[in-house]
Amino acid sequence: MTSNKRITKELAECTTHPPVGITVTLPNDSDLHTWHVILDGPEDSVYAGGKFGLVVKLPTEYPFKAPTITFSTRIYHPNVTNDSPGNICLGLLKSDKWKPSTRLASVLESVRALLEEPQPEDPLEARIADEYRTDRKEFEKNARAYVQRYAKGPVKFDASSAGPADGNASQPGAATATATATGSGGSRT
Amino acid sequence: MADTGDDRDVELGSLSAIFPEIQHPHPDDPYTILLDLPVTPSQAVTVFFPGPVDSAPPQGNDGPPAAGPGQRAAVDSHQLAHLPPLRLEIAFGSKYPAEQPPKASVSTSPPWLPAATIKQLEDDAARLWEDMGRDMVGFAYIDHVQQAAERVFDLVDVNGSLEVDPSYKIAILDYDIQARKAAFDKETYECGVCLEPKKGSACHKMLDCGHVFCVACLQDFYEAAIKEGNVAAVRCPAPSCAREREKAAGSSGKKRKKPRTYINPSELLQIPIDPETVKRYVDIKYKLELEADKNTIYCPRSWCGGAARSKKRKKPEGLELAEVEEESGSEDDDIDDGDQAEAEGKSKPYKAPDSLLAICEDCDFAFCSRCRQSWHGEYVLCAPPAEKGQPSAEENATLEYLRYYTTPCPTCSVPAQKTMGCNHMICARCQTHFCYLCAAWLSEDNPYSHFNEDSKGNKTSCYGRLWELELGDGDDVGHNFAGGPVHAPHPAPAPAPAPAPVPAQRVIPEIEEPDDDDDDNEDHNRNGRGRDNHGARDVRAAAGPALEAHADGGQVGIAREGPLVLRIAANRPAAPARGGAARRGGGRGAAAAVGAQQQQGRNQRGGAARGAAAQRGWRGRGANNNNNNNNNNPAGRGPRRREVPDVGGDFVLAPADQEWVRQFVQLALNDQEDILLMMEDDEGADI
Repeated sequence: MTSNKRITKELAECTTHPPVGITVTLPNDSDLHTWHVILDGPEDSVYAGGKFGLVVKLPTEYPFKAPTITFSTRIYHPNVTNDSPGNICLGLLKSDKWKPSTRLASVLESVRALLEEPQPEDPLEARIADEYRTDRKEFEKNARAYVQRYAKGPVKFDASSAGPADGNASQPGAATATATATGSGGSRT
Repeated sequence: MADTGDDRDVELGSLSAIFPEIQHPHPDDPYTILLDLPVTPSQAVTVFFPGPVDSAPPQGNDGPPAAGPGQRAAVDSHQLAHLPPLRLEIAFGSKYPAEQPPKASVSTSPPWLPAATIKQLEDDAARLWEDMGRDMVGFAYIDHVQQAAERVFDLVDVNGSLEVDPSYKIAILDYDIQARKAAFDKETYECGVCLEPKKGSACHKMLDCGHVFCVACLQDFYEAAIKEGNVAAVRCPAPSCAREREKAAGSSGKKRKKPRTYINPSELLQIPIDPETVKRYVDIKYKLELEADKNTIYCPRSWCGGAARSKKRKKPEGLELAEVEEESGSEDDDIDDGDQAEAEGKSKPYKAPDSLLAICEDCDFAFCSRCRQSWHGEYVLCAPPAEKGQPSAEENATLEYLRYYTTPCPTCSVPAQKTMGCNHMICARCQTHFCYLCAAWLSEDNPYSHFNEDSKGNKTSCYGRLWELELGDGDDVGHNFAGGPVHAPHPAPAPAPAPAPVPAQRVIPEIEEPDDDDDDNEDHNRNGRGRDNHGARDVRAAAGPALEAHADGGQVGIAREGPLVLRIAANRPAAPARGGAARRGGGRGAAAAVGAQQQQGRNQRGGAARGAAAQRGWRGRGANNNNNNNNNNPAGRGPRRREVPDVGGDFVLAPADQEWVRQFVQLALNDQEDILLMMEDDEGADI
């Protein structure tokens, strides 16, 4: 109850005064708990020009429980699992760090900040993190390639249609991914 | 009253419109008004209370009370936004305004305002009246006082601090809290959780950080978190609240490394959270604290599992509301210790405690923190852990003691230990009358016949032994038993001095003595001779049969003593002289030989005799059993009696063999042969 009221407010806030580079839509008007977000790759990052789909799932206990956010668009990033759905390692979303008065707008801004500044010391993809630290050029090349391949067309929120597995991208991360996200990001489009 | 020509009515009318809170303190005088003016400084004032509370009684309050010791004054200072209000009473006399100024009187409760200031404020009324050209001055005066109040009557010094007599401290601080609360309640806040605007009265301001949330959200959030056991979430719901405070603390140069993020139980109760939930919160927090501490020692009792007491932490008490408050009061002091302990715990994974003694804070069980057995003292090596199902050495010792120094009630089997008196016992539990020596049932009507000859001249094994063990059975019993006869009616034939008595101790206080002391004494006297004769030889004689007739007329007879036990009287047990027994006795028993003599005086069986008896051990008992074998005597109960080392005893077997056979038979009779295996080790050392 509190939950729905608050979500409505937050949604209104995010749609009327959206944070920079973030577009929020509600895929299903009757379900306030699933949001679709389009994240524009930050201009000064390797992800510039890409449009990334995020699926935000709000638990029924929201805001007492943290939302889960997954990339439905594949992205080459140390803190996002290189699979579908792309789970995000974001401190403030961890259950022991979540604070109920954290707003989704600021969560989404944090996600965008993560694209600007990856956190390789706390990686979900150890290989990409290593590459980011040791061979920045190669990392940037791979990240741009991913943007070209996956983040240029119309944004898809159905994780299964995130595109074919890339031969280029070996996926050691699948093993290290902690898979905290529920569901696959929803099939409503 | 309403005199249209009276200027006062006009003035009071407008004043009442401006200050609707105006009161009339005297119902019969409409021209005296009373007004409370809040003293709310435009900037918070640092109020300090110099000196000890008992120093200066409120006298002028003008200067600082001289009694204050040195400069400790500034220590006790508080930032206050509200001071107790000014009470202003103005009387407009009948000649006002034309000829008479209004008479003002000013007071505060408590009287924190210096008398000089009050005087000046009061005089201002007349002065203003004069300045106004002796006209209606009511509003101008009130406004003047209000402005003065805003400046705290110019009492604040350049540093923005105000000195107030310490005896008003509590009242002034209380007022500030209440006024702040009232101001808070009137405000509107947007709750960061539900994002709704809420009145302050429906909100809670976090004590540590000052963030404001609505009570409903805090309740929902904290109660859900505590219900799930997620006590870590019980903190300020504002994002990065802790970090901000950390920064603030760091910039202010404070030493504290980490500001506290968790919320005190007392604050939860203030919100309010249901006390049951708060209790759960406290319990879980404490449990986590225990688990985080690698030095925590847990109680070895399987049904308890509490933690051992520790200086580092304090177990939360039941969590009555008052105790929570108390706990929170000392919380601040405890925190540094806690941090320190935490840091210690991290740097040193395990630190052996200073003492091995650990006491469970739940069940008060004292145990050794190393071997987890009940406390054995600092200077005793830890015993190896007992195997499951095997009784420990201590338990065996208890069982052994029970076998030696108690007689089971023949009806309910409760072990009974005689602390003093005759051998006619009444079970405290089931009221069965029985013989302490052989555990035979005794007739309620004539219990003493058991100790006498019956009509056919038969004698039981307990013939003449009513008063054996009069001072009690077992270690340290009987001597100081209050009210019991402790000395012998007979002259003691053997004048060996008894060692100093040891304090009485009733191990199993289940048995009460029969009241009829007279009867006992009669019996006692009648049987005196025979008893003494017996006593000389077998004070602790068991029901073992003597194969030869005793010279003392100890004729072998058979008597039915109870429904189940067939007794064969034996006046003369064949007790071997047992050096081993004496050795076992250690210091207490003096010497077995002396003990033998002392037995002659029944009532003088003091410590020495008892010491000797205590030494009898398995050997003495076995000696009888050895003989019993031949008679198929079910002497399971009887032979637990003490035995006097008797130099004239017969020897049938080599002592070592005897020993073993005795033990075995004895135990077999009790279905306890298995104990023999364990006992053999111990006994072996003695033999």
